[in-house]
Amino acid sequence: FGLSLPAVAVLLVALLCLDPHCRVGSAPICAHGPSGCHIPSLADLFDRVIQHSARMHSLSNDLHSEFEQYFLPSKNHIGKIYRKCHTSNILTPNGKDNAQKLAREELTEVILKLLMAWRDPLFQLHQSMAHQQDFNSFSSNKALEMGDMAHELRKGVEKVAEKMRVLGMLGNSVTGLSAAEAMLPLSDSGEAMSDYELLYCFRRDSNKVQNYLKILKCRIVPEHDC
Amino acid sequence: MRNSGAMLILTFIAILTLQAAGVSPPGKPRLTSCRSPEKETFTCWWEPGGDGGLPTTYALYYHLENSETVYECPDYRTAGENSCFFNKNDTSLWVNYNITVVASNALGKNISDPVEVDVVYIVQPNTPEHVTAVVVHDEQGPFVRVSWEKPRTADTRSGWITLLYQLRVKQEKDKEWEEYNAGMQKYYNVFSLHPDKEYMVQVRCKPDHGFWSEWTQTTYVKMPDYITRERSLWIMITIFFVFIVLILTWTLNVKRNSVKLCLLPAVPGPKIKGFDKQLLKSGKSEEVFNTLVIQGFPPTTDYDNLLVEYLEVYDNEEQELVLDGKDLSEDCMKSKSPSDIDSGRGSCDSRTLLLEKCMDGREGSGSNQHQYSQHGETRWASTESSESQGPEPGSPESANGRGKTWPVVFSSPKPQPHHHYPVGAAKPAYHSVPEILNHLSPHAMPSNYHQLNHQDIPQQEHRFSKPACRHSQSYNQFNLDGVDTPAPGVPPSPSLEYVEVQRVNPENMLLLRPLSDPNREPEGSDCTREDYSKVKEVTSNNILLLQRAMSHQCVDDYSQADQCTTQQPPHPCKPAVHQSNSGMPQEAIRVMGNGYVDSTVLMPSY
Repeated sequence: FGLSLPAVAVLLVALLCLDPHCRVGSAPICAHGPSGCHIPSLADLFDRVIQHSARMHSLSNDLHSEFEQYFLPSKNHIGKIYRKCHTSNILTPNGKDNAQKLAREELTEVILKLLMAWRDPLFQLHQSMAHQQDFNSFSSNKALEMGDMAHELRKGVEKVAEKMRVLGMLGNSVTGLSAAEAMLPLSDSGEAMSDYELLYCFRRDSNKVQNYLKILKCRIVPEHDC
Repeated sequence: MRNSGAMLILTFIAILTLQAAGVSPPGKPRLTSCRSPEKETFTCWWEPGGDGGLPTTYALYYHLENSETVYECPDYRTAGENSCFFNKNDTSLWVNYNITVVASNALGKNISDPVEVDVVYIVQPNTPEHVTAVVVHDEQGPFVRVSWEKPRTADTRSGWITLLYQLRVKQEKDKEWEEYNAGMQKYYNVFSLHPDKEYMVQVRCKPDHGFWSEWTQTTYVKMPDYITRERSLWIMITIFFVFIVLILTWTLNVKRNSVKLCLLPAVPGPKIKGFDKQLLKSGKSEEVFNTLVIQGFPPTTDYDNLLVEYLEVYDNEEQELVLDGKDLSEDCMKSKSPSDIDSGRGSCDSRTLLLEKCMDGREGSGSNQHQYSQHGETRWASTESSESQGPEPGSPESANGRGKTWPVVFSSPKPQPHHHYPVGAAKPAYHSVPEILNHLSPHAMPSNYHQLNHQDIPQQEHRFSKPACRHSQSYNQFNLDGVDTPAPGVPPSPSLEYVEVQRVNPENMLLLRPLSDPNREPEGSDCTREDYSKVKEVTSNNILLLQRAMSHQCVDDYSQADQCTTQQPPHPCKPAVHQSNSGMPQEAIRVMGNGYVDSTVLMPSY
């Protein structure tokens, strides 16, 4: 990852301030001081992040099925996907064994990469859906929310990673904290992908993210729900 | 060229022959479903399309998205007939599989439609395992705790798959299941189950994105018999209300009288004197009505006579009409007020009228003077009494209604229950003297004496005086013994004649003399205007009924009522009455303010 300079500076400051008593969470509720605030544990952070990802995936699922229902009545799946997803370059484990074989850091990195790769395409998707009159406002809002969720999720995962690093769970070899490349949703041929293709791809990727996060969580904090 | 053509024709003929024989290439198979139980392997099933009569083989081919490499199904057996099982190595997630099935037999093959499958979205786990339902006794009441385990194949431990559970409960007889979502936990408490009933429980699960599993086998659980809190509460409430009701009933019972008064206020019933309800209830109406019968009422024979007589009496046509036709009471009442002066008015109280009638009847009933029955008297009394509400009872005009008779005021000798005659029970404080039948002629001596009996004298026998008019008869009494009677046809004089009471003789007789008597002694005659009373009637027994005469005149005529014998009631006063004014003391009849004569004055003071 290539970290931009401000991000590095921020991280350095965070690292310097680091000690067990220092507040990692920046929730405004904790303004009163240490006594009245609950510092979220890593497990809590993971839970939050996983909930985020679940919500994001369900949104993408809804949008995709709406698309399929209203704009692609044909059940013919042949040739449905004409192009690859733009994130197909990112190597992701495609099975449980493969995923479990990955180290935490790598897994975290993959997650972050994926999320980063979708930052701009989601924004584009929302824009294009808002402009088209085919979509009702409900769908457009979903797309917007989906974009925001992806953004939040990325932030959250970054926090989790940071916490893990703080806790020493992540080795220094992790480069996952470097900013993932922001990728343009361009296919191999360079053409912009259609909305449906974007939805299709994002639905898959959000599922991946959710799955990876769960594996990560149960590997790191296996107490609850594992 | 020819060969190919021949080949073609031959093939064609062969096919036809084969079809005629019943064999054909296989029908098109169809992929029915693909499922993955744990997101690590998956299975696809297909449906053959018809074998065409020949042994047919099926083959499944697939290729991954964006790849042209076609693979054949690695395992046709594990999952059974017409299936293809993909093991872990062959399963890739987040990749589309393009799957087709090819059926082939000796005559040909057939290819199914391709199906695109992404394994992640076809996950259907196995059913949960080891479902147990246990009754737990709690202070709130017993409930059922259902617990189970995840399906063996699903790897939730590593977080690879997340399962959500659902259970359902019903009784054997119910139609609908009651469903509960248990989330990710592996137990659930079921409340609100009915006591002493057996329930069926089933559980299933679902991955967060996928299909529901099948329901488990039924687990039975029996609820113990217990009284629910709710029921015991209702029992308590019921008892409480029953208690309250009992108390209310008892209170009402104790106070039933006042309640009855409050709710059903007494309705005044008819009060008929002498009416006996008990007799009525017993059903003998004769007895009931017999008690109502007043002895001596209605008057019987004499009554008829009275009626007859009175029908005949009239003053003139008008008066007769007045008498006969109308409600006399009103007429009389109207015409006569105590303060009224009936001078020549021809009302029922008219002296002339009376005169006339009495004259008429005189001859006919000379012998009947005494026929004043009690009945008649009482009749009159009652008539008077019944109509005495208007003018005061003392007035002669009152109570003249029914019998067309001279109004008369009686004092009943004894109180009769049916007389509400005010005077009835008590000694009247008045007399009333019926108007004296009188004639203008001073020599009308025969007519004008009455026996006056002081009503106040208790020793006297109180009898009902004769009805007022029996005036004819009373007239008769006066006109006995050859007294020169005026001719029957004496025209009625319109003027009234008043009698002046001269004195009371020792035998308790009032001696009267007509006021019109020129010989009238002015001895302090009570010819003060207001001191004269009319003699209404003389009874058989020394009762002279006086009527207050509010006349302004000690007017023109008066006749002297002289001494009368008292022995025989029918005997009128002898003509000797009028003979002299022999210095009998004039007894003034002091007239009370309301028209009544003060009887005290008449006490024998001699």
